[in-house]
Amino acid sequence: MRFLVLAAESEPQVQLTSQTRILAAVIAIFFMLLILDLIRRDRLQERYSVIWFVAGLGMLAGAAFPGLLELVADAMGVRNTNVALFSIVLLLLLGLALNFSVIMSKQAAQITRLAQERALEKVDQQTDRQQNGGAPSGEQGLQAEEQRLEG
Amino acid sequence: MRTLVFIPAWNEETSVAEVIADVRKYLPEADILVVDDGSADATAERAREAGALVASLPFNQGLGAALQTGYLYALRNGYDFCAHLDSDGQHPAEEVARLLEVVTSGRADLVIGSRYHAGAVAATGDYKPTFSRRIGTSVFRFFLTLATRQRFTDTTSGMRAANRRVMTLFSQRYSPDFAEIESLQLAVRQGLRVEEVPVRMLERAGGSSFLTPVKSAFFIFKGLVVLLVGQFRPRRVEAER
Repeated sequence: MRFLVLAAESEPQVQLTSQTRILAAVIAIFFMLLILDLIRRDRLQERYSVIWFVAGLGMLAGAAFPGLLELVADAMGVRNTNVALFSIVLLLLLGLALNFSVIMSKQAAQITRLAQERALEKVDQQTDRQQNGGAPSGEQGLQAEEQRLEG
Repeated sequence: MRTLVFIPAWNEETSVAEVIADVRKYLPEADILVVDDGSADATAERAREAGALVASLPFNQGLGAALQTGYLYALRNGYDFCAHLDSDGQHPAEEVARLLEVVTSGRADLVIGSRYHAGAVAATGDYKPTFSRRIGTSVFRFFLTLATRQRFTDTTSGMRAANRRVMTLFSQRYSPDFAEIESLQLAVRQGLRVEEVPVRMLERAGGSSFLTPVKSAFFIFKGLVVLLVGQFRPRRVEAER
């Protein structure tokens, strides 16, 4: 058992080989180009792309300066840089997923309100027809406001 | 004094006309609005034929969104009071009229029709809940009473009457998932006077609302989370924009 522990201690920190660094850089550049293309074709809105660009740049920085990763690992008190890398990426993804849930909730609320407004407009049409074109009393203020906005 | 009675309905073409007729019989002065929650059947047509106003949501949004549509309509069209009841024929309009009397008298802002209230149980034995519903009911009853420090017996009742203060609040904030329970907590926390009145309810004509024990357990768990989160919400919200 003792020699196993010693072996683990004497093992050097995991270093990124130049092969993995080039691969990471290529993937990062390809990733950012993909983001640009998605924006260009209106498949992704700019405001949601910023976070992905930051991720791409982070990947590129990690590939260009592997010392950066070791610095971060040291600051985290993690001996193995790979573990540091994985935990950082995991945390970022977790934050991103939460961010999407927040955006989704907001949009769900907006869709609900939109559906309600549309349903209520239809009721107003029904009451208008029943009253031969006369607007119901409560709607006059709203209609005046709409005219003001249009004018 | 203008009153709106609204009826949330989802695929209730067989019963909605009867419910409308029942409301018209006991509340002849009230306007009737059916909120059709994206029904795939002829609910909207049946309701229109029966002479009700119909607000059709373009797709199914859940009970909370449907009820909120009713409160929004009542608020915007200057109704003084509103009430709602289920569209499946469980809720007699006669009882809804009694709830409305309590809000029009000014005794309470929001009145809930309770089928478990001592008076209701004594009056009739019409309503017999299933076992899982009984458990859910007692759990919610306990925690809602704890959260609001006010005694509630029927937390999931869909028969209610309200005044304009409640319309203002509910048209702004109404939980889509736990409409009945969270709205009670919200109303009490906003300082509104909420009162329960014993009512007579009828057995569901067909189907059951709770399917499996797992589903009811999940429903209860979700409800408890909603209640817990609700306790940390700000106590007062601003008046309508």
